Amino acid sequence: MHWSRTSRWVRPGTWFGTFLLVCSLTGWAVARDLTIGQGTDVSHLDPHYSTSASDVNVFFNLYDNLVLRDEQLNLTPGLATAWKLIDDRTWQFKLRQGVVFHNGDAFTADDVKFSLERAIAENPRTSVYAALNTIERVEILDPLTVNLVTKHPDPLLPTRLSYYGGMILPRQYFEKVGMEGFRKEPVGTGPIKFVEWKKNERLVFEANKRYWRPALPYDKVIYKPYPETAARIAALLAGEVDFITAVPPDQVEVIDKSGSAKVEGALYAGFFSYTFNVKVPPLDNKRVRQAIHYAIDRQAIVKKLWRGRGVVPNDAYPNVDKIGYDPKKPPFEYNPKKAKDLLAQAGYKGEEIKIESAIGYLANDKQLTETIAAMLQEVGMNAKVQLLEYSVRAQKLRQKALEGLLLGDPTSTLLDPDGMFWRLMQPGGLYDYWRHPEWDRLMGEARVLQDPQKRDANYKKAAEIFLDEVPVLIVLQPEKTFALKKDLQWKARSDEIVVVYDIRPAK
Amino acid sequence: MSQYLLRRFGRAVIALWGVSTIVFIVMRLSGDPAVLLLPQEASREDVLRLRQDLGLDDPLLVQYGRFLGHAVTGNFGESLRHKEPAMHLVCDHLWATLELALAAFCIAALVAVPIGILAAVRANRVYDHLVMSLALIGQSAPTFWIGIMLILGFGLGLHWFPIGGRGTLRHLVMPALTLGAFAMASIARLTRSAMLDVIRLDYITTARSKGLSERRIIWRHAFKNAAIPVVTIMGLQFGTLLGGAVVTETVFSWPGIGRLAIQGIYNRDYPIVQAAVFVAAAFFVGINFLVDLLYTFLDPRIRYE
Repeated sequence: MHWSRTSRWVRPGTWFGTFLLVCSLTGWAVARDLTIGQGTDVSHLDPHYSTSASDVNVFFNLYDNLVLRDEQLNLTPGLATAWKLIDDRTWQFKLRQGVVFHNGDAFTADDVKFSLERAIAENPRTSVYAALNTIERVEILDPLTVNLVTKHPDPLLPTRLSYYGGMILPRQYFEKVGMEGFRKEPVGTGPIKFVEWKKNERLVFEANKRYWRPALPYDKVIYKPYPETAARIAALLAGEVDFITAVPPDQVEVIDKSGSAKVEGALYAGFFSYTFNVKVPPLDNKRVRQAIHYAIDRQAIVKKLWRGRGVVPNDAYPNVDKIGYDPKKPPFEYNPKKAKDLLAQAGYKGEEIKIESAIGYLANDKQLTETIAAMLQEVGMNAKVQLLEYSVRAQKLRQKALEGLLLGDPTSTLLDPDGMFWRLMQPGGLYDYWRHPEWDRLMGEARVLQDPQKRDANYKKAAEIFLDEVPVLIVLQPEKTFALKKDLQWKARSDEIVVVYDIRPAK
Repeated sequence: MSQYLLRRFGRAVIALWGVSTIVFIVMRLSGDPAVLLLPQEASREDVLRLRQDLGLDDPLLVQYGRFLGHAVTGNFGESLRHKEPAMHLVCDHLWATLELALAAFCIAALVAVPIGILAAVRANRVYDHLVMSLALIGQSAPTFWIGIMLILGFGLGLHWFPIGGRGTLRHLVMPALTLGAFAMASIARLTRSAMLDVIRLDYITTARSKGLSERRIIWRHAFKNAAIPVVTIMGLQFGTLLGGAVVTETVFSWPGIGRLAIQGIYNRDYPIVQAAVFVAAAFFVGINFLVDLLYTFLDPRIRYE
């Protein structure tokens, strides 16, 4: 009796133990969950109506684009397997066969037409309209081939489609449930499938077992908002989350020393820079702007404020741009004597120079602005700091009401000069203060050239003008840092997107 | 009594109308949501079109009339950022805040009242000095700091409680302590001073001379009379807990109405802010009303005629 009772418990226990052993030996272990802590919650899951970083980070996993970017940000096939230029204004995309949406619908050219037409809809305009509005029309040739005809030659169309707004939605499902229904239960083709969302609490997905690439090694992927940085880091170190975004430079050491987590960073695809309102004296004088350029000790800023996690720029474009950028130029020079000489030549008489910045919008924004002001004072300039609330800053930009210099973080969205300073500084753009006919011509022409060499030459010439005229004070290219548990592996990307598919259990 | 109730109700409605109007005006003075909703590349025309779509280009009075008309039916419009009815979102988040505020309130009241009474009974002795010094710290330490300290100590160091989020009772402990710290300190200090005032009165001496037990004197005779200011402060504190949970909710990633409102303010999401402030104000007014009613129970001399 006694024996049989024991065996009743021992046997299943042994079986379970053996099962676990076999599982772990075959690498078929019970899949784990992956929890990601972001600074804010997602606002909604409609990829055509948001470009905010925490939203986009989810869009890129729930949906797929026709073209994807690999870890080095090279274009790779996504829902399209190949693409080519048919004529100056027509790109042809061959679509991937056998892809299904999370609800089981097959992916076809119909979905591509529907999604892209929705993205560039005129009324109401979407949040991604401006990013994709070079598309004139979408033509379906057969269920797996589409032609995208652009309004003018657009060499960057595949790159555009790999960024925000390029996500493909299921036409049939969307039309059946409508916009409201779709937002409640979004469906894509991506590696994660929607499960539930408790706003400001958790957003839960499960691995898409029918993904067109091997499925994720996780059961669930959960996004949780941790608005407070210290709490976000503590949650990672306590093992409550596996991965966190937006780690400030001064917290890197704490995480590295913890033994349980590590920091991964990549140079930001853009600059931290100050835009000049060149219409306000004395900033209308080119020599004053040049003096400001030379008065900044960028090396010290990178070393002290960013703890070495960043680089001093050397060109008008960040070093991630695939075209136009010249790696041979030396880093921007710090030369206070030259700055003073230039000020003397410019006849500067101590006029006030206002430096504006939001607080808490960018890492170190307040400290950086105060440092810049101190460096300008050092060469005899009357620099004043003015701190703004984030929305006031947005309003000032929109109303073109900068009072002097304003801190921003222009991103090279297309890894091409067209996606950064031309996007922002073209006539009517957000930073439209400085105009130079030759720069306008070179930049405007380059964006519609299909020949990469000619484009490169144009951008290099435009850079010379830009660096001489200094319409923007480029300060640094910081590293953007993330942190994850030591038993995971992942490489940060310059475009800051957290592609869940790339986060893998460490071998 | 019914006339009094009616008058109080009328005043409550006026207060809510006033609060809603102030929030309506302040939000509109403070910035344009269209600017924040659109990406940087958006043109001036895009902004104008969005403003038109959102009805922001109408004269302020027209917007206000529309707002009031909808508000009386409980419709505060659709959140500009979340694209969902604002009141729906606020109600979703309200439970989390209520849960947190109630827990904080219970901790505060259950701890603070006995501590305060004991401090009064042992006035000017070591216990009293110790407790009152602690209360002073509880009142002066920033909520933010208390929260982070708890996270580092009990979350990260000892792994006793989860650091962020909501779900189980364990999730509730640290946020409730953090939120309740200030209320706990205020209630303890007030209980002590109210009790001290009462203990010195003649009727307590009489009770003692009658040979009543000390426990009975303190609880039945002294505390019931000292309770009026304590109940008042507790009522006010509960209102403050509801509205003041913003910092705690942010530190502990608690999905409450305060955090929703703050996000709404950052994004100039008018409907969210208006709905959240309205609900918080309604609770505040409601609790004050309840406290007033409670007075009549505690002190039969108080009658609302």
